[in-house]
Amino acid sequence: MNLEELLLVESSCTDDEIVDLRALDYVSGYDTHLMCPICHCALIRPVRLQCDHVFCQKCLSSAVTSSSSTDDFTCPTCRTPTQTVYTDVPRLLINMCDDLRVKCPFLAEGCMEVMARGHVESHVDKYCGYKLLDCPSETCDKKTRKKDLDSDGKCVHELLQCSHCEEEVMEQDYEDHLNKSCLRFETMCPHCQVMTLQKDLGDHIDICPDAIHSCTASKYGCPVKIKRADIAMHEQACPLIAMGPYFEAQNSRLNSLELTMRHLQQRNEIFEDGFANIRSTLVDASRVLPGQNNRDLPAEGPPGSSDSQEMSNDGSSQSNNPTTYLLFLHESLREEVGQLSHAITDLDARASMAIMNECLRIKEDMAHTNTAVNSIRMQVQWLMNPRLHQGQRTSNVRTNDTNDSGTGQLGSSTASTTSASPISGPSNTSRPGLRPRRLSDSAREGTKL
Amino acid sequence: MFAGKRLSKELAKMQGHLPPGITFAKSDNLEEWQMDIRVLDDNPLYQNQIYRLKFTFSQKYPIEPPEVQFISLPASHETPRPIPIHPHIYSNGIICLDLLSTAGWSPVQTVESVCMSIQSMLTANTRDERPPGDSDFVSYNKRRPRDINFQYDDDNV
Repeated sequence: MNLEELLLVESSCTDDEIVDLRALDYVSGYDTHLMCPICHCALIRPVRLQCDHVFCQKCLSSAVTSSSSTDDFTCPTCRTPTQTVYTDVPRLLINMCDDLRVKCPFLAEGCMEVMARGHVESHVDKYCGYKLLDCPSETCDKKTRKKDLDSDGKCVHELLQCSHCEEEVMEQDYEDHLNKSCLRFETMCPHCQVMTLQKDLGDHIDICPDAIHSCTASKYGCPVKIKRADIAMHEQACPLIAMGPYFEAQNSRLNSLELTMRHLQQRNEIFEDGFANIRSTLVDASRVLPGQNNRDLPAEGPPGSSDSQEMSNDGSSQSNNPTTYLLFLHESLREEVGQLSHAITDLDARASMAIMNECLRIKEDMAHTNTAVNSIRMQVQWLMNPRLHQGQRTSNVRTNDTNDSGTGQLGSSTASTTSASPISGPSNTSRPGLRPRRLSDSAREGTKL
Repeated sequence: MFAGKRLSKELAKMQGHLPPGITFAKSDNLEEWQMDIRVLDDNPLYQNQIYRLKFTFSQKYPIEPPEVQFISLPASHETPRPIPIHPHIYSNGIICLDLLSTAGWSPVQTVESVCMSIQSMLTANTRDERPPGDSDFVSYNKRRPRDINFQYDDDNV
């Protein structure tokens, strides 16, 4: 699309954003290559220019808006003049940006959720209980958390008076107020029956002398559970506490031993794997080598007896004497090569014989054809003779030449088929009517006929 | 718009790592920063001097350029900062650099890149002079640097 379309698209979709992705809090840093160079956030709805520079759609459109005119807009990064915006940014880039971990935008309201950026919108839209919504009451303009929203649409922003301190608090904060901030609401310690402020109860229990406490050696098996006030006395007498440091030392030793054990186990596994590998390669090798021998044996053919004996020796001695085995292999290969060259010479001879035979046959055929051609030529000559005689006779009448010698010469020349030159001598210029005939006569038979 | 967000990101990045010769002098708010810059080589014009740049960011940064100029602190100050002598820097600190004008600015520029540009502009200079008409400009100019129509006629420096 071109720049104007980009501006149109951008202006039409500014309102429907549920979450401002730029305001999100990223849990971890991200690669600067995923960062839009304009807003320095991880790319949001990236678009690409012709020069392959990528920006957020929103950032690019604001850069376009600020430039003097869309006609001479240049890429913010490399200043290449550009008119076209592509939305086909590599999927990888979009996925990497959408995969960044972010905190829920309602962190301040108490939502501790951390999720991929691509899921923020659906989280906020559907699942987040801390999302702020308009109060269902029409007169109230405050916001309320989604999880606090009653199903009956009651406004929780009405001020209630705290029954203890007379402070006015909103209904949604009432419990929080009682538990954490009310300065009057007192409650009884379950252990010592002393009244304390509810907000201090937690602190009180930590120090209450009557709270039941277990002996510090309980992890080593001391079953005693007594009031905090008496625990100091017990601990002085408790034998397990006296042994405490010893137990600690043992524990740490056990831990370190366990650690080394685990290391050794891992190394052991690695070694075992290595052994298994070596063993399998050995098995493979020993399976392959004798197999080769057996394959060589039938190909060997005639040289026979001595070789096969060598082979049986070889099978037993190959593992301890590899040189012999290699020599043997070399020998057998040489023989094979010899056999191959034999076969090639044989084939060669056969091929040349076949060619010779063919040649002879073709020569014979050619001779047959030659004779046939000759006979046809003679027949044609014979057929042409009367006409020639006629022509000569008429010319003879005109030139008063001797009739007999002309025909005699013609007859002899046609019969011998060597040459028609004798007739050309006396009659060449005087008889133009015969010229085409003479041409066909004088030419060699193979070509003209 | 997102000027504050972007500036706090830049600040966080620069506090982690700053290029040599550039230090923060003041960055306690997101409207105005001051940076100290120093020329790295031994150009005799600027040797052993530190200069202070003032960046003023508008709400539309980085779409709009920041206003950048040198400011001077008197010699009696504990950190005296003069205005560097340069044929493109007026004696009131206004810098004639197309990068800082609306036309030459690009939103991908950062405070860091601007500082480095000015640093290299000083490094490359050999002329011990102010721009022509410096005294007139200094006494009459009331405009903001961004609105001045500089003629960028010198590509050498």
